[in-house]
Amino acid sequence: MAFKRTPQVFSASINEVVIGTGDKAVTLGGANTFPLYTFDGKAKNKVAIGVEIFDHGVDTSVPGIAEYYSGAEGIGAIAKKASQIPGADFVVLSLEGADPNGENKSVEECAAIAKEVAGAIDCPLVIEGCKNIEKDSQLFEKLAEVLAGKNVLFVSAREEDYKRVAAAAVMAYKQKISAESAVDINLAKQLNVLISQMGIQPQSYVMNVGSAAAGYGYEYVASTLDRVRSAALEQNDAMLQMPIITPVASEAWSVKEAIVSEEDVPEWGPREERGIAMEVSTAASVIAGGADAVILRHPKSVETIARLVAALM
Amino acid sequence: MGRFVIIGERIHCISPVIRKAMEEMDPVPILKRAKEQLDAGATYLDVNIGPAEKNGVELMKWAVQTIQSEFDNVPLCLDTANRKAIEAGISVYNRSKGKPIVNSADAGDRIENIDLAAANDAIVIALCSKAGVPSDNDERMMYCQEMLERGMEQGMDPTEDMWFDPLFLVIKGMQDKQMDVLEFIKQLSDMGFKSTGGLSNVSNMTPKEIRPILDSTTVAMAMYCGLTSAIVNPCDRRLIETIKSADIIKNNALYADSFLEI
Repeated sequence: MAFKRTPQVFSASINEVVIGTGDKAVTLGGANTFPLYTFDGKAKNKVAIGVEIFDHGVDTSVPGIAEYYSGAEGIGAIAKKASQIPGADFVVLSLEGADPNGENKSVEECAAIAKEVAGAIDCPLVIEGCKNIEKDSQLFEKLAEVLAGKNVLFVSAREEDYKRVAAAAVMAYKQKISAESAVDINLAKQLNVLISQMGIQPQSYVMNVGSAAAGYGYEYVASTLDRVRSAALEQNDAMLQMPIITPVASEAWSVKEAIVSEEDVPEWGPREERGIAMEVSTAASVIAGGADAVILRHPKSVETIARLVAALM
Repeated sequence: MGRFVIIGERIHCISPVIRKAMEEMDPVPILKRAKEQLDAGATYLDVNIGPAEKNGVELMKWAVQTIQSEFDNVPLCLDTANRKAIEAGISVYNRSKGKPIVNSADAGDRIENIDLAAANDAIVIALCSKAGVPSDNDERMMYCQEMLERGMEQGMDPTEDMWFDPLFLVIKGMQDKQMDVLEFIKQLSDMGFKSTGGLSNVSNMTPKEIRPILDSTTVAMAMYCGLTSAIVNPCDRRLIETIKSADIIKNNALYADSFLEI
């Protein structure tokens, strides 16, 4: 008997969440097949790629990054350059300078930076907080207001602050949020349940189920992504059908392979190449696991992953 | 494995309210019952219009469209002895949330409902009986095989689209047959088949306060044996909590602290 191939297309699908406005708005999610299973069905939306910049600019200790952004004066110009990297779909502004244990930039200062960034780009904007629960709640409340109408995605709403973040960003200003859990499938689902029980519609939130650089506990991320996507599609679990956004850069550029200088470990070769390799391999892995959007930093990584996505989706 | 499929049984013409609504084609009571069942956790809704010999075609079309348009194309189980009415219902049925289920065929007079399901790319509930209650599992299996052959001849995918009904039996009176039914579910499951059935049969004629206990215990034991669906009253909270818990234990659904609320 001849082999009869049956495409594995599910009646369940990943929710679609739109970020940004106008022609450059990006739709995340929509899949009804397993990631990259194009033999089962064509992906509705391609994996979106975000370029991360910081409130203080970019990491100029990496030569390729410094070179790419050279001549860009001020956060607006930097944001614009970030948005112009071939393959970039959105810009991610990380407000790490707001951390009370660091520079402790004020909410107003951050709001001014965010407004400048939003004004300089026409692609969607994603805002990352400083990871301090109290400060992030204050930041997101203010930024949701000053960025009203921009359809911004706030990363992240966690178990500790989801109520405040969801109320301020989604309910008050119709922005989008990302529910964050750290490689814990049960919590990932629970957080989505709690957010939905607030009356937040599925079109208004995505999730970040955790990330790790390849080689740094990535196997846990892989199994989490697999389990989440299988629950969403095979078990039609509405509480796990949110598109997944994975911050890759922050993980990839903070492991020793991306930090240690060439002088210290000459046999490893240039630091920059190692960082790009970490970023690209981690991003490719999470895309294979089901991420609908990744956040990257190096222009070379963005270009590489964009080529991968274009070839495979 | 996918989650247990709860088929809500409460849109049934045996209920005076529903009978009246169907006679008058009044959507309000029907939509109310549909909503109650969906809110309580039903996946499919059974729509039993009775024999509907006169206006079955028109009534089933109306019921399917009325319910699906209100509840995001909720999948339905079309339940009537009137074959033309089932076909008519399927002709207006939206499949985006799941295939229609033909309720039901058996190995006797109603075997042609398998052909009907096959011709319309529907799921069929295949009751493992011919006339009356099968005396033992050998007889059940014989009927199962007859229907299986019929379905396969018609090109059905028997592991997906034929849901075998072991015929749940009333405890009060047929207590000694209960383990047979469970054993048969296990046999179906081992062969890779899906199964469903009218679960509340088991607690017929027992006191009202006892029924949820017997129903939920039966469903837990049956799910352990591999039952994949049941036609039940989703508004029975104990039963639904038991099904949801069993789905968690079977790893059919991912655990979250609020799993009983969703």
